Amino acid sequence: MTTVDDIDITDKAFWTQPLEDRQAGFALLRRERPIAFFPEPDFGGIPVGPGYWALTKHADVLEVSKTPEVWCSGRGSTSPTDFPPEMMEFFGSFIVMDDPRHARLRGIVSRRFTPKSLEKVLLDVQKIASELVDGIADRDEIDFVQEISAPFPLLIICDMMGIPRSEYQTVLDATNKILGGGDPEFFSGEDFMGEVVGAAMTLVQLVNELAEFKRKTPGDDLTTQLINAEVDDDVLTPQELGSFFILLAVAGNDTTRTALSHGMHYLTQNPDQKADWAANLDTLTTSAVEEIVRYAAPVVFMRRTATRDTVLSGHEFSEGDKVVMFYGSASRDEDVFEDPDRFDIRRTPNPHLGFGGPGPHFCLGAHLARRELSVMFRTLLERFPDIHATGDPVLLDPQGLPLVTGVKRLPVRLSA
Amino acid sequence: MKVRVDLDLCESHGVCEGHAPDVFHVGDDDVTVVLLPEPPPELHDAVRTAVSSCPKQAIFVTED
Repeated sequence: MTTVDDIDITDKAFWTQPLEDRQAGFALLRRERPIAFFPEPDFGGIPVGPGYWALTKHADVLEVSKTPEVWCSGRGSTSPTDFPPEMMEFFGSFIVMDDPRHARLRGIVSRRFTPKSLEKVLLDVQKIASELVDGIADRDEIDFVQEISAPFPLLIICDMMGIPRSEYQTVLDATNKILGGGDPEFFSGEDFMGEVVGAAMTLVQLVNELAEFKRKTPGDDLTTQLINAEVDDDVLTPQELGSFFILLAVAGNDTTRTALSHGMHYLTQNPDQKADWAANLDTLTTSAVEEIVRYAAPVVFMRRTATRDTVLSGHEFSEGDKVVMFYGSASRDEDVFEDPDRFDIRRTPNPHLGFGGPGPHFCLGAHLARRELSVMFRTLLERFPDIHATGDPVLLDPQGLPLVTGVKRLPVRLSA
Repeated sequence: MKVRVDLDLCESHGVCEGHAPDVFHVGDDDVTVVLLPEPPPELHDAVRTAVSSCPKQAIFVTED
C-alpha cells in the first residue's frame, strides 16, 4: 500500500508509472498533504536549491495564478530549479517575466492572437486538418502521433509564422529535444543540456533568417506583423523574436499534440462516448474538447516564487519559497469536479485549469488550441466514426519531473 | 452593481460571455462590450463568476 510518504514527484519513477498510478498519487496528496514539500531536481552544474512546495488543489492553484504580485514568474516558471535569468528568458520569453516587461511583450503578441486576428489561421486549421486526414484515408493502421497529432499543430504554426514546410522536420526535432525531458529517444549523446541549447539556437536562427527575408519581402504572416512597425507600434527585437519563437514552437506544438493523442486514447477507452460525440458533433464538440484538456492536462506544471511572506490555505510561506502548480491534479480536485476521474465529454460546467489559472499568464493560445482540437476531432469522427487506438500510448520517458505529458506513439485503426 | 472591462487587459477570450451572456458580449471586432453596465440583482452571481474566471482578470465591479 502506497502512503503519502512514499510519493516523490521529483523522482523519475513517479513519471514513468502508468497514468492512472500518477493520478492516484496526486489524489493521495490532495487528500493528505495538499501542499507538499519536495526536493529539487539535480541538473548537474546548476546549484540545487532548497526544494519546492507542490500545490495540488484547485483553489490554491487559482489563488496563486490570480495574485502575480505575491507569486511571481520572474524567478522561474518552467522548472523548480533557478536557472540563470538570461537562460530562462532565452527559452521562456515572457512566461518567465513579470509585469511590466511581461505585459509589453505579451501585448505585442496578444493583439495577433485574438479570434479576429487569427481568422485566416483558423481557416487554415480546417484546410490542414482535411489535408492530413485525406493523406491517411487509404490506410488501415497508422501511428496517430506521426501522421496526425504531431504534424497538425506544427504545420499550423509554420504556416502562421510563414516558415516554409521544408523546415518542418527541423522545428519538430528541436521541439522534441527542448521538451523531451531528457528522453534518450530524442538525444544523440549524453550532453543533455548542450543539445537542448543547440536545438533552441536552431529555432532562433531559423526565425531570424526568416525575419531578415520578411523585412525585405513582407508577407501575410505573423513574423511580418511582429517585426514591421506601423507608426508608434512596438515591435519585437531580433532577440525577443527568437525567444518568442522558441516559446511558440514549444508551447504551441507539444500541447495540442499531447491533447489530440490522449484524447484519441480516452475515446477508445470510452466507445459509448465516442459514438455519442460522433452522433452529436454540433452540440458536443465544445464540452468534449474542454474535457480532453481537463483530463489530459498537457502542461504538467508551472512554478511561482513568493515575493514576500504570505499565507496560502493556512500554510505560511516565506519570501523566496517556490510553489509548483500541478494543473492536472487541480483539474481533478474532488472539491470542484464530481467524479473527477471519470472522462465525460458532456461535463459542464468544467472549470479546469488545463490552460492555467486566471491571471496574466493564462494560455495565450487557448483560442487556437480549442479550434485545433475541435476541428481535428470533428474531421476524424466525420470521416472515420469507428477510429480507435489498438494499443496504449507510448509516453515520454523523462529523466525527472517533466513539463509536459508527451505521447510519442499511438497505434490507431481507422475502421472497426 | 456597476461593471467595467479594462480593454487594455482584455484579450477577448469570451469566458465572461459564457457565464453571463446578458451582460457581456465579444463583438466581431474582438472588443468585449458590457451590454448591461448596471446588471439587475438576479445576474449578480453570474457576473461575479465571470469576474473570478476572467483569464486576464480584466473585469471590475463596484458593489452597491
